[in-house]
Amino acid sequence: MRVLLVEDDDLIGCGIEAGLRQAGFTVDWARDGHKASLALDTTSYALVVLDLGLPRVSGMDLLKRLRDAGNDVPVLVLTARGTVVDRVGGLEAGADDYLGKPFDLTELIARCRALLRRAQGRSVELIRYRELTVNPASQTVEVAGKRVPLTSREWAILIQLLTNQGIPQSRSRLEESLYGWQEEIESNAIEVHVSNLRKKLGANLIRTVRNIGYVMEKQ
Amino acid sequence: MSASIRRRLMLLVLASIGLVWAIALASSYRQATREVAQWEEARLAELAQMLALLDQSNLATLANAHIDVREEERGGETSANDTDDDDSLPRDALFQVRTRDGDVIAGSPPLRALNAWDLPVPPVTGVQDVVLGGQTYHSFTLRDTPLGHTVRVFEQANTRSDLVSGVASRIARPALIALPVLALLVWWSIGWSLAPLRMLSDAIRSRDIHRLEPVDIGHVPIEVRPLVDAINLLLSRLLHSLERERAFTADAAHELKTPLAAIKVQAQVALAEPDPARQRLAMERVVQGVDRSARLAEQLLLLARLDMQEKMSTAPLAPGAVAKSALLANAGNAQQKNICVTLNCDMRAEINAEPVLIGILFDNLLDNAIKYGSEGGTIEIAVRREKEQVLPPSKEPLKEPLQEPLQEPLQEPAKEPLSERILVSVRDDGPGVAPADLARLTNRFFRATGNQATGSGLGLSIVARIAQHFGATVRFGTGLDGRGLAVDVSFPAYTAASAGPLKPAA
Repeated sequence: MRVLLVEDDDLIGCGIEAGLRQAGFTVDWARDGHKASLALDTTSYALVVLDLGLPRVSGMDLLKRLRDAGNDVPVLVLTARGTVVDRVGGLEAGADDYLGKPFDLTELIARCRALLRRAQGRSVELIRYRELTVNPASQTVEVAGKRVPLTSREWAILIQLLTNQGIPQSRSRLEESLYGWQEEIESNAIEVHVSNLRKKLGANLIRTVRNIGYVMEKQ
Repeated sequence: MSASIRRRLMLLVLASIGLVWAIALASSYRQATREVAQWEEARLAELAQMLALLDQSNLATLANAHIDVREEERGGETSANDTDDDDSLPRDALFQVRTRDGDVIAGSPPLRALNAWDLPVPPVTGVQDVVLGGQTYHSFTLRDTPLGHTVRVFEQANTRSDLVSGVASRIARPALIALPVLALLVWWSIGWSLAPLRMLSDAIRSRDIHRLEPVDIGHVPIEVRPLVDAINLLLSRLLHSLERERAFTADAAHELKTPLAAIKVQAQVALAEPDPARQRLAMERVVQGVDRSARLAEQLLLLARLDMQEKMSTAPLAPGAVAKSALLANAGNAQQKNICVTLNCDMRAEINAEPVLIGILFDNLLDNAIKYGSEGGTIEIAVRREKEQVLPPSKEPLKEPLQEPLQEPLQEPAKEPLSERILVSVRDDGPGVAPADLARLTNRFFRATGNQATGSGLGLSIVARIAQHFGATVRFGTGLDGRGLAVDVSFPAYTAASAGPLKPAA
């Protein structure tokens, strides 16, 4: 799942980036508001982690612009100014959650998961689909109670399809959720990963939509 | 006893009134005395005229009778008599009439008893005072009357004239009654006039530290207005400085949280990272974060110390030498970015300052120039002497060197013609600072937009604060080759005359 991190501080930024990667997210890191709004215009993100004290375009402006444009991507705001007034202002400007510096990395990731869950209309962390039990927090999949190991790419494709049940996902959309800015996209990789998923989890799980991509049917 | 305006005013007003009254009394008394004397003189002259008309036999008869002047007075002027006339002594007039040759024709017998019978006669007509038998007498001499006589009249001087004492008491009595009444009125008036002061002190006394809005005590007399204005000015300054202090504390806390957040995040990444190489990298970043916090704390402390310190011990020093050692200390960082630093210093230029602080000033300027300069660029440090004209006109003239809100303006350099100044400048050829940001460079925690280097945003505030301490001005302009940033600090030059204790700028 692709996350946009907007943070101007080098040390904090690379820390969060590493933490989110460890948690299985694909991370794009924008160091100022200008780059962040460019990224938001061109890529669809599952989540935005936004620091309010940004150079060039302030985080609050970015947030307002985002909401004015009708983009309802979940936004988790980070700030060192953790007063009630700041929190209320941030939430009213369209933030979905708020975290004051210094924060706990595990809490940040848990809140990111919670935001994603809410955006996907789930109230519990576990996703059950037919005989599959998927735990995004521990990045584990069980088929009929038996754990199946997945690679990170396979995992990312599974989550993307699972969280968009009934909506066919194009190859480029899947690629987008798979690769960050720095990563090179391997050709045919999607087909390979999907075929591996079918082998591991069951042949009927993922349906191919001709000329479009792949879909997991709604239950 | 502490000084009291009311007491002092009372004393002054009453003393003035008393003095004026005393002068009026004295002058009236003198006037009355003179008038009475003139009147008595006129009476004597009249008596002498009458005697001059009498012949010898009549004079002899008259000599043996009493001539009571008062009787005459009473008969003539009824209104002149006062109830307070307590002078009941007989006022007998004595006289002597002589022939032209000096032989006595007639004379009042008491003159013999007073040994005045043979008193020499004054040569001309007029008034004389003589002492007869221990008493002062007014005498009037009339010479060469139509009958060829010389008439001399005596009357005992009235030393305690009831007329005069009457005049005096008429003036003095109302004063004796009026003075206490006046004192009371003055006391009350002064108290009433001083009421705004009392109200003001009440208004101030009822304040606590959190109520610093201007004092308003309604209608204020113009004499008290400046005091109220001055107090309100002080209050507003206090309020501003408190607000500044609060903002600074909030900013400082905010700035300290950022490196702490970085440390925590990196530490947690290291804890969760299975790959030893990445774990090590995260731990190295933890150390970087700690260094950053330490540097920030150091800078905050330095600023706090600079704010606290009013007077600074100064000594003449050559900025060129300080610049050299600052360059040596920063040479490593410059080399890492492949930056060439040129030193162009007039070693004879001297300023009156504190060497450690000037070192910090150079350190901050150089550190900034290296941090924000381009890779492989150039930095020029220059120290040179200048006459008055502080800066060559820059392409982007920046008037306001210090934009710190609420901060006292920089001490203006003395406007003496051709006074020498020492210009210290550090220029780079990096990306520079947007014109809109130039004015905010010295604001605490301000960081120009678009820069990637880590910094606290305190370096130039520290430079500006140090410059302010030594009466220097800071300006920003375009750096080398029309690019980058130039920071020019203009110090008053050290001369023997300026060697005295430097006036603190703040």
